Formats: sequence, structure tokens, C-alpha cells
Amino acid sequence: MLKSIIRKEILSNLLGYKFSIITILSTILILISIFVMYRDYYLAMENHDILRAESGDNVEIIPPTPLGIFTKGLDENLCRSFVIDPEGIEISNKKQKSVNDLFKLFTAPDLLYIIKVILSLCAMLFAFDIICGEKETGTLRQSLSNRLKRPILVIGKWIGGFISFILPFFIAVLLGTTYVTLSPMVDMNAQDCAKLGLFLLSGVIYLAVFFSLGLLISCLTHRSSTSLFISLFVWAILVFLIPNLGNILARQLVEIPTVQHLELKHRRNWIKGNFELTELERRRDRIKGDSEFRKVDDYRRQEIIIIRRMMAEIDNLNEDYRNRFNRLVKVSQNITRFSPAAAFTFLATDIMGTGMAEERRLKRAVLQYRNILLIDWYTNENRDEKSKPPIFNYQRSSVKEILGQGGLSNFLILILFNILFFTGAHVAFLRYDVR
Amino acid sequence: MLKTIIAKEFLNNILDLRFIVGFVLCIIITIACIMILAHDYRQEMKDYNARVNLEDEILDNYAPVEFDRLLGMVRTQKPPERFRPLIVGIQGNENVGSFDDNPLPILFPPLDFLFIVTIIMSLLAMLFSHDAIAGERQNGTLRLVISNSISRTNILLGKFIGGIASLIIPFILSLLVGVLYISVNPAIQWDGSAWAELVLLTAASIIFITLFYLLGLMVSTFSRYSSTSILNCLFLWVLLILVIPNVCTYISAQLCRIPSIKETERMQDEIKYPALKGARKHMNEAAKRFKLKYDGLFSEFESMEYGGIGTWFFLGREASSTQQKAAQQRAEADPKFKAMMDSFRQEFEMAMKEFRRIVKEAGFDKIAKNLHRKVAMQTKLAKNLACISPFANFVYVARDLTGTGLRNLKYFERTKNEYEEQFVSYAEEKISGARKKNPAIDEEYFLDVSDRPRFVFKEEPLKYKLGEVLPYWGILVLFNVVFFAAAFAGFMRYDVR
Repeated sequence: MLKSIIRKEILSNLLGYKFSIITILSTILILISIFVMYRDYYLAMENHDILRAESGDNVEIIPPTPLGIFTKGLDENLCRSFVIDPEGIEISNKKQKSVNDLFKLFTAPDLLYIIKVILSLCAMLFAFDIICGEKETGTLRQSLSNRLKRPILVIGKWIGGFISFILPFFIAVLLGTTYVTLSPMVDMNAQDCAKLGLFLLSGVIYLAVFFSLGLLISCLTHRSSTSLFISLFVWAILVFLIPNLGNILARQLVEIPTVQHLELKHRRNWIKGNFELTELERRRDRIKGDSEFRKVDDYRRQEIIIIRRMMAEIDNLNEDYRNRFNRLVKVSQNITRFSPAAAFTFLATDIMGTGMAEERRLKRAVLQYRNILLIDWYTNENRDEKSKPPIFNYQRSSVKEILGQGGLSNFLILILFNILFFTGAHVAFLRYDVR
Repeated sequence: MLKTIIAKEFLNNILDLRFIVGFVLCIIITIACIMILAHDYRQEMKDYNARVNLEDEILDNYAPVEFDRLLGMVRTQKPPERFRPLIVGIQGNENVGSFDDNPLPILFPPLDFLFIVTIIMSLLAMLFSHDAIAGERQNGTLRLVISNSISRTNILLGKFIGGIASLIIPFILSLLVGVLYISVNPAIQWDGSAWAELVLLTAASIIFITLFYLLGLMVSTFSRYSSTSILNCLFLWVLLILVIPNVCTYISAQLCRIPSIKETERMQDEIKYPALKGARKHMNEAAKRFKLKYDGLFSEFESMEYGGIGTWFFLGREASSTQQKAAQQRAEADPKFKAMMDSFRQEFEMAMKEFRRIVKEAGFDKIAKNLHRKVAMQTKLAKNLACISPFANFVYVARDLTGTGLRNLKYFERTKNEYEEQFVSYAEEKISGARKKNPAIDEEYFLDVSDRPRFVFKEEPLKYKLGEVLPYWGILVLFNVVFFAAAFAGFMRYDVR
């Protein structure tokens, strides 16, 4: 019986207007997105090559990942060149795209955006009238008048509906992925393919959440117009409201100074320290004669103490800022996780190596490398080629690392949402008045 | 009769579940959003004041006597936009170009009044209008209405006015509550022009919401069933709000390529370095001649790093203040040394003049100009392409009108440059005054700059902003006219059976 219901659901969907319009929309969008983002990756690679060729020993830059074509996330931030100075780390953000300010107004139309915003809406549009629509047409009454159990009917409708919804998505993604992988610019290894596979899997689970939610709303309402209205508003709340408001809300809970404020504090410390150093230099210059020559050593020692104190003050400021920032990210993640869209964004960007986890990891690596360079600069002034510090070598997280770093928690949240909504739909359908 | 239809449509809508849910949602989101953003504004203001104080502290205590270093110390702080409690402004490059910047807004853009209008209200407008015609046809009421002596024009007008009134009321009410919160909040001080901008913003929002209502109405007049109508409406909504604006900028980047800044710098270096090499050669030859002519005197001058004359430019290092001072003192004491120093300076100026001529003739400035021209072209193309979507037009109008957009960033840059020019003249005067008073001052001397000009950011006058936004406003009105005309044409031919 289950098979018949699935088959009937798939067939009725395939022949419906809804299927045609959603298929056209999702196919066009996915293909446009992949093509546009592929060209964007091409530009990013070009810029990386120019920056790489011209950067010196103390400039570190990592190449953009081809997975950014599908999930851009923070890749632009990650691929900036970090100029390491004794004073701190500066960003040389001389990228082609940054000169066109219009990019600041709109979002990157990558596959993540399409799945997160547009396909989730399509999933709800597919599911909003599964139960109440059949009730309105009277077919639900007829179906249940047979020896058909309600759980079988609701499961059959879910499976049939979801298969017919996800099919065009898979075809479009397959076409787009083939185009990307066959192009000579893109060099994807096995790890990247595994990451892409995981991303698509999490995308399917995310879409299933919205499909189940649509089903739940359909089981709770008796008119498809009401169901549609509620579905659209729940979608707007989950996809836009909670993630975007949660971010600002977190900023109210965790007080954090702006970057400019932090930089000003750095500058003040640096100027103060330099002033003390100049004073010390003046006193040292006044020393004349061999009898006082040994005092120079004392001055050198004092100089080192001042430099160390300056460094420690700057490090303390940075540490305080980074601690606050990490708390902000944590609070923000915890608030926004009430929305499957936010959980999916964190999961997808982390999997593809363009997310917050990768950003933190890269910054940690740059800071560690800066420490190595600082030690080298201060202890090895007359170094030869052989004693040069090791070059900065950064590899993005592997799948194993991502899953180990808590990527799995967002995955579990999505599954939990699925179970919750489907169970809700199941219970609601068991109590549903089909008359 | 028109009044009756309007009243009927209005009543129908406000008694509907759509109105109740939409109204509650609008009130809750608007108030929550304004309250959170107002708190955020207070925090931003606190941070801004702390930055200004810190900047003052640095300049009051450590203003160096050296011109370049003093200029390097002046940083103009941008205050939070006054419309921050309603619309979150775009960050300038100073925020996104830091190692410690917060990348969360890239993943989740902040929620504000723009979101409420462009996403919630536009969606609500389409949900209100998608079945205005097709739904009534399905119910059979349209047939009954038309069987009376009432023109189709009146029906359509009545539906439009009644429907839009029931949609605008919750929007205006929720905005009024939010504005009330802003007006009683002591941290937010709005002047007359800010209130005028708010009125204009509300008017633009109403035009935008009307546009989507008309789009829904138009789709409804071309559909037989409300289920088809809503699907078509959502399809168009996704395209106009979520797809076109985001894709256009990327498409324009492909169509109109910009040479990267690094590439431009490389091209400029290709001109600059050979010219510099020529100038250095000229100076080396001059140095040889001077050595022959002045012998020991010139060797002494060399050991003083030429008293700082062109040392940084030609040798790539600075002469220390002690060396500069020593050269000056030597010149004052010995006229021969002074004559040698003056003619060396003349040689340097000649070399520099030649350097500037070669660089200019090779089109050094043209390369940078070309980059700026192409950037302007790309931005213009992206802006024009995105105008196909009412969303982009509304964003331009709302952001530029309230000083939260790209125009404000540029305006800030302009005022910042003006201030910096003002500060340059002040610094020149101050330093030369200090040097006159005490010629022995060196780089360790700190200036008293307590009388320096202070940077105060004033909002751009409304009339200039209006000049910028009017074309986009016009496009929004045009969309309204086109959709209404199409809805009218569709309804005239509509089969009500």
C-alpha cells in the first residue's frame, strides 16, 4: 500500500503545475548560480596569483577554495593577504571585487543561498497542501475510507512528495557540478569531493526539514490558503528573522568594542612605548667615554623590557578582544540555532571550509606564525638563508577535523528538527478531522 | 459604488486571518527590531565617543613635530548613522579590512526596517492580492458583482484601494509605535531633516508595498485559479527580490572587467622605476662631480646622509634628525658648505623635475584614472541592471535617503578629505611656527595641538540626497503604473465565468 501511495504522490506531483514551475525555477537558478560563482572563483584565483607573486616573506595568503563556488561563505575574508609586522597583523585587501561597493549591498548568489532561501521556500510550497489540499478536494476522505492506516498515508505522502521535489534539484546540481569539475580552472581532490557530497547531503536534510514543516502545517490546518499563509510566515521567520535578528541580539548580550577602537588602543600603546624608547635612546646617546660604556648594556636590557611590555599590552588587548569575540560568536550561534537555516549555514560553510570554524583556525595559524617570525626577528638579526623561519603553510580542515570540531552538532540539530516536525505532523494527522 | 467596493474589500481583508497574522507579525517584528537596533545604536555611540576621546588623548600628548608623522596620526572617526535605529548602514572598508573584524554579518546580514518592507511587507502584499480576482471568480462572487451595473474599472479600482488600505494600516501603525520609541529615547536626537527623511522613507515604502500589491493583482487578473496565481506570484517575488539584485552585481563584474589594484600598481611601477633609475643615475653623476669639486667637504656632507636632501627618495632610507641638524648647523657656520648644499639641492630638484616629466608623459596618472573609470562603469552597469528589480530601486532610495548607503560612505570620504586638507594647513602653520620659535626642536619634541580643527560629521543636506534618489523613485512609480495598466488590461479581458 505504501508503494502505491508513494507512486500516486509522485505522479500527481509530476503532472502538476507546481512541479513545472518549481523545477524551472530551481534549475535556472542553480545553473545561473554555479556559472556566476564559477566566474567569481576565476577572478578570485587571478587576484590570488597576482597577490601571491608580489607578496614578500612577511605576507601570508591562502588560495580560494573551488568549493567557494558552491558556498562562498567567508572565503573572501579567508583569502585576504595578511601582512605580518612587529606592530600587529594588517590586511592588504586589494582585491578586484572590493573596489565595486555594490557588492556590499547584495548577497552572493551561491548554491548555499539558493538552498537556504529559495529551495526551502519551494519545499514548503510543495508540502503546504499535501493534507489540507486533499481534504478540500475530498480525496482524503475517500482514501481513508479504505483499509489504509493513517501513518502509512502520511509516510507515503512524505516520501512521494519529497522525492518529486528533490529530483529536479539533484538533476540541476549534477549538471552544475559536472560543468565545474570539467573546467580546467578547478582542481578538486578527493577531500573536496567528499566535502561537496556532505554539503549536498546536509542540503537534502535541510530541505527535508522544511518539507516536514510544510506537512506539519498542512496537518494543522483545514484550508490550503490558510496553510500557505502560515507556511510563508513561518518560512520568513526561520530563514530571515531568527538568524539575522539573533546576530544583532548577541551583540547586545556581549559587549565588544569595534575594531577601530581596538586599533586606536594599539596605536596609543605603541606611541607611548616608542616615546619611552626614544627617551631611553636619548639618555644612552649622552653616555660618553669608555668608563661608562658598560652602561650601554643596561640600556639595552631596559629597551628589551619596554618592548616586551609593549608587546604584552598589545597581546592582552588582543586576547581580551578575541575572548569577547569568541563569546559573541558562541552566543550568536546558540541563539540562531533555533532556526534550521542558521544551523544549515554554519554546517555548510564549516564543511566547505569557508565558515567560522575555518576562519578561527586560519587566524590561529597566522598568529602562531607571527610568533615564530617575531622570535626570529628579535633573536636572529643577522640570519643567513639556512636559518630562515619555515614558510607559512596552511591546509584547510579535512572532513574528519570538521566533524570532530562540532560540525556534527549542527548536523544533529537538522536531524532533530526533521524528527520533531515529522513527529508533529504524524501526531496532528492522527487527530486530523478529514470531513 | 466605488466606495461600496472599497469598503467591502477593506472589511473582507481586515476580518481575514491574513490580516490578523500580518498585523501581529508586523507590530512584533517592527518594535523588536527598532528596540534592539536603538540599543545597538547606543552602544555604537558609546564606542564612537570612546574612540574620539582616545584620539584626542593621543594627539594631545604625542603630536610629533614631524609633518608626515603628525598627519599619519589623524584618524577621522565615523559616527553611527542617525537612522541606525531603523536601518543598519553599510560598513566602510575601514571595518572590513582588519584582521580582527567580525565576519558574522557576512553570513547573516542584520535585520532592519529594510528587511521588514522588502521581505515581510512585499510578501504580505502579494498574499493579499493574489486572489483578489481569481479567488472571487472561483467563489462565483465576481460574476454576481459584474452582473450589476458596475464598470470593471470601478471594481478594479475598488479592489486596489480597499486592499492597499488594509495593508498599509498595520504597516503605518507598527512604524508609528517604533517611531514613538525613537522619539522618547534620549539617546536618539533627530532634527527636522531626519524627520523629513523618515516621512520620505515611509512614502517610498508605501510605493514599494503598493507595487507588490499591484503585481499580485496583475497576476490574479491573468490566472483562473488562486492556487496558480499564488505560485506565479511567488515565482516572480523570488526573482525580483531574491535573485535579480544579487545576480546583477556578479554579472556586471563578468561583463565589465576591472584590472586589479595590484595589477594597476604593477603597471605604474613599470613606469615609475625606470624613471627613478634615471633620476638616481643623474644624482650619482652629480655626486661624482661634487666629489671632484668639493672633495673632503662633500665626503663630510655624504656622512650626514646629504642633510636629508632626497635621501629617502634615492637611497631608500631617512637621514636622522641629528644628521639633518648637523648639516644645517654646518651650512650656517661655513658659507662654502652652504653653497655646496644649495647647488646639491638644485641638482636634486632638477632630477625630480625630470622624473615627474617622464612619469607624466608615460601616462602614470592615466592608469589610475583608467581603473577609476572602469570601476565607475562596472558599478553603473550593476546599478542599472539591478534596476530591473524594484527591490534594488527601493534599497537605493531608502539607503541614500537615510544616509545608510554607499552615497553616505562617499560623502563621509569627501568630508574627511576636506577636514584633512584643513588639518594639513593647520599642521604646516603649527610646525613652522614651532620651528621659528625654537629652531633646535627635534623629532622628540611634542606639539601643543589643543587648538586644532576638530572633525565634526554633518549629514548631507536633504536636497542633494533627493536629487540622487529621484530617478529610482521614478522607476518605482513607473513599475506601479505598468503593473496597474497590465492588471487593468488583464481584467478588461477577464472571463468571469
